[in-house]
Amino acid sequence: MTAAVDRARELPRPAPGWLARVDMGKLLAHLSLLLLVALWTFPTAGLLISSLRDKDQLAVSGWWTALTTSVTQGVTRVGTAEMQIEEGGRFVIRGNLFGTDTNKAIESFGLSNAAPAAAAAGQSLPMADGGAITVAADGGFEWVSDAAFTHTRGPRVFYVANIAPRFTVDNYIEVLTAAGVGRSFINSFTVTIPATIIPILMAAFAAYALAWMRFPFRGPIVALVVGLLVVPLQMSLIPLLSLYNGIANAFGAEDGKTYLGIWLAHTAFGLPLAIYLLRNYMAGLPKEIMESARIDGASHFKIFTGMVLPLSFPALASFSIFQFLWVWNDLLVAMVFLGAQESKLVLTGKLVSLLGSRGNNWEILTAGAFITIVVPLIVFFSLQRYFVRGLLSGSVK
Amino acid sequence: MHKYLLAGVSVIAIALASGANAQDFKFPKGEGAFSWDALQTFADSHKGLEGQKLTIWGPWREGGDQEQFLTVLAYFTDATGIAVEYGSSENYEQQAQIDAAAGSPANVTILPQPGLLADMASKGYLVPLGDEARQFVLDNHAAGESFVSLGTYNDKNGNATFYAVPYKSDLKSLVWYSPDNFADAGYEVPQTFEDLQALTEKMVADGNTPWCIGLGSGGATGWPATDWVEDIMLRTQSPEDYDAWVSNDLKFNDPKIVEALELFGWFAKDDKKVAGGAAAVGTTDFRESPLGLFSVPPACFMHHQASFIPSFFPEGTVLGEDADFFYFPAFAGKDLGKPVLGAGTLATITKDSGAARAFIDFLGNPISNEIWMAQSGFLSTLKSANVETYGNDTLKGEGQILLQATTFRFDGSDLMPGAVGAGSFWTGMVDFVGGKSAREVADQIQASWDAIK
Amino acid sequence: MSDIVQQVVGAVFAIAIALGGAVAYFWGSNWLLDKVLGTGTRMSGREITRRDNLRSRIRPWLFLLPALLFLSVYLIYPVIETFRLSLFDKTGRTFIGFSNYFWALGDGNFQRSIVNNIVWLIVVPSFATAFGLVIAVLADRLWWGNIAKSLVFMPMAISFVGASVIWKFVYDYRAEGAEQIGLLNAVVTGLGLPPQAWITIPFWNSILLMVILIWIQTGFAMVILSAALRGIPEETLEAARIDGANDFQIFFGIMIPQIRGTIVVVWTTITIVVLKVFDIIFAMTNGQWDTEVLANLMFKWMFVNFDYGRGSTIAVIIMLAVLPIMIWNIRRANAEEGTR
Repeated sequence: MTAAVDRARELPRPAPGWLARVDMGKLLAHLSLLLLVALWTFPTAGLLISSLRDKDQLAVSGWWTALTTSVTQGVTRVGTAEMQIEEGGRFVIRGNLFGTDTNKAIESFGLSNAAPAAAAAGQSLPMADGGAITVAADGGFEWVSDAAFTHTRGPRVFYVANIAPRFTVDNYIEVLTAAGVGRSFINSFTVTIPATIIPILMAAFAAYALAWMRFPFRGPIVALVVGLLVVPLQMSLIPLLSLYNGIANAFGAEDGKTYLGIWLAHTAFGLPLAIYLLRNYMAGLPKEIMESARIDGASHFKIFTGMVLPLSFPALASFSIFQFLWVWNDLLVAMVFLGAQESKLVLTGKLVSLLGSRGNNWEILTAGAFITIVVPLIVFFSLQRYFVRGLLSGSVK
Repeated sequence: MHKYLLAGVSVIAIALASGANAQDFKFPKGEGAFSWDALQTFADSHKGLEGQKLTIWGPWREGGDQEQFLTVLAYFTDATGIAVEYGSSENYEQQAQIDAAAGSPANVTILPQPGLLADMASKGYLVPLGDEARQFVLDNHAAGESFVSLGTYNDKNGNATFYAVPYKSDLKSLVWYSPDNFADAGYEVPQTFEDLQALTEKMVADGNTPWCIGLGSGGATGWPATDWVEDIMLRTQSPEDYDAWVSNDLKFNDPKIVEALELFGWFAKDDKKVAGGAAAVGTTDFRESPLGLFSVPPACFMHHQASFIPSFFPEGTVLGEDADFFYFPAFAGKDLGKPVLGAGTLATITKDSGAARAFIDFLGNPISNEIWMAQSGFLSTLKSANVETYGNDTLKGEGQILLQATTFRFDGSDLMPGAVGAGSFWTGMVDFVGGKSAREVADQIQASWDAIK
Repeated sequence: MSDIVQQVVGAVFAIAIALGGAVAYFWGSNWLLDKVLGTGTRMSGREITRRDNLRSRIRPWLFLLPALLFLSVYLIYPVIETFRLSLFDKTGRTFIGFSNYFWALGDGNFQRSIVNNIVWLIVVPSFATAFGLVIAVLADRLWWGNIAKSLVFMPMAISFVGASVIWKFVYDYRAEGAEQIGLLNAVVTGLGLPPQAWITIPFWNSILLMVILIWIQTGFAMVILSAALRGIPEETLEAARIDGANDFQIFFGIMIPQIRGTIVVVWTTITIVVLKVFDIIFAMTNGQWDTEVLANLMFKWMFVNFDYGRGSTIAVIIMLAVLPIMIWNIRRANAEEGTR
């Protein structure tokens, strides 16, 4: 099974009898990963497709039906007497059952709930208000009568129609052009970037001390960090906000809701995980490197900045991703420590507010979810290249 | 770069910064049926506040009612010169509490739950409004007495004090239907509860499904059923019993309440009477359940829901034509008049200032009601507000039901303590439609009430 | 306008200050330490030893100080405050001793939450870690591994509101005969079985909620484990291959032992996430149909009922639940000490 070392570029070329040489292990790996990825992607794919659908269809049919032609039943009110025109002594009301919609095709139509498919497209049905109506496949209708129409309420026409697959970016346009979205993007970056960088710096030093230095209470401090991971965020909101307000009042400010406040809060909330992850990674670095450096007379400070930091890049990168994500997607901390005024609203807050007071507008949610996901994915991709194998082996040689 | 940044600046920030700019008015001053004189009187009596800042925290969010509220604020700013900063969030109730507890509340806090305000009052977070404001509500609001008691809570030391004024009401006792579907099937709008039950049975006999009921609402799943039960309580028991029930002087497992639960069960726990069968009631989202009225063929013929529900009707639905409402009728056989269940928001001062007092006064001015009435979804109980300003006939009709009510009662679940009204009552209703008996559920809810005493 | 510029400038400034401040602090304090307690050739041997010892005793604290300061103010202080509040009634003014704890023990919802939490604690960390590990290992050796990892990572990046909509479209239930818009019911009815109102079926609904968290957390496990796997020296793997080890032997014999520490860390972290999990339950069921868990219960008492006493009590209990994990981590840290 040495083929396991094969990289993609070394894959055996298809040659006569290649089937016999297909590496079963490799095939199995491909298949299992494919299955797992499919499982993980399916729900998200549903969200993506939903975000590209008409908002009226979201709650009516499954997202997978968006890909195929589906049949729908509907109803439209046709015009009142006001819309009639006289043509060659007859009275006509014209229009289209679908309005400006063009992806539907009438199969049949009718005049009551009891018989929504009384006639096929192109045929005519007599109307209660006089005359007869003809509906074409494209939804265009012509209601003709010899006598003038007098009805004041447009009668209903029922239809069975095929809907061709159609996608729209309207939902995205709606979100992106909403007033204040640009501002909330800037606000989110203002909150997120410092709140990602500051904890990493602090945690890296602390993690190094906890991993490689000898001092009393080391074990208990590690345990304390683990213990603090579990502190429910909600518990700290009121004490901390009171503290902020107290400080703000002492300086004569109105309240303690500032960017500085939220940076520091996110820093502190992210610290336990940062220290814990980084300490674990640093502790795993080969101790031979450290020892040889110590023997060469390097100080801890030098070892840390010169060797440990560069070697810990994969761990630093992965933590930055998570801290970035966490802060970027956070709503609670931002709302409490920054406030909900329009000028300070972060992107998540903006989206939630776009949902309306009663939380409907799923189309905005679906599109919004993808708009917010873009930035974290860019961060993920740009940091992923630091997960390179060989940093360590290179330094050992 | 500058251009790009400028595009990001919120419209609201501009609107508020430029304050007294006449172009911002939704309705030009001096035109229409609005009480412009009252606005002038208000402006004249609130001078010297120019340049002050006022922060308001409320439940209305963008895409919902925030725009309308901001149009109202524009007139306030114009009249007084006070700059207003309005904020809201998804969890506005929690945040109002957190801010109050931490010492950074808004000047004015507007909430739809009197129960929550009572809690805040008992912790000393609210500022008393005084006798004058109390008398004003008593004299100038329809059912003034009900609203005074809604805004009166015990303070830190247990003394009853007046804290909150009503602003914006919702009407709950409505049944929505499609007039066309009723006409096609030959059904008529019922005038009494007996008729309503007969109609329900007739629909079932015709092979139709009468009701769409959906209790789903994420974390608040169950609340639409509490409206049903409250409406039924008001139609089967006296208003005094209703009040006693809400304050738990009448136990939740009293036969009177169990009877009301069972009557709700008569509608909701019968597979033939609800779209999708009883199993779907608990999981169908309340926002989606009215859609059954408009589907082809109709999934149901009637939907019991408050006056806000048309915003969840399919796009293009014309009220009065495609959809209409009738009053959830009272029993002819019981002498309980025409009770009405409602809800609404109440405004309180959480950080005192001259501007905050002026704003509370402004909410009693007809113009603050009319500007919103003329737009959408706002029902006013303020007698001086001109009903001619209602934006459409549906609103006007709802306003009439509100003004004609012989008994007006506030949504009971909003008055009960949170652990019950926003907790065990909701979950109990879900259990009830899920198959538990009325008795069992009532006992369970009463037990949760006992646990917080 | 100008306030945006001010804000951006402020943020850039903050980053500069933070970076500069950190460098200045760490570099400066270390320099100062070396200066004040530095050793020179003219000092006596004892003095040099004394100073060396003192330096190495002080230096760790210089490294730790900023982090400890932050942890104390932002986390330890609230924990103490929480514990204090748990001994008071709902107003936070009247001392009632341990009454809230006795209340909790007798409360039906609390008992149910404990049982549910135990199931969550068993299921979610193990599955998320296992899937994360498998995906990390597989993705490492396939040419499209990075694409695969990005796709598995996506759920992690979706905000919670988005995730709840996604799963609404998976578990949605429509009555039999109606068109299903939930994926799960579409599959079930496609197989000719009746649709189910999934989130209302006790026990199974909890499992379905756990699936959501596993779906999210696998991305976390995968990224951390993947970084650790890349940390295994190529030489070690090469040597094993030359010795004729097969894939499974390499996986179980070399990879897992090499990254065991990281697996423990990932498992611990996800366990703690589970203890704190609240959004999923809040958005999907709010604890109804027997799906209640501790964190959601705490949130309810804290911010729906505004009973700070009981809310704090449940929070303290959640924090106590992590004690065994803490003790275990102390022992691990001490064991490492021995090898160093």
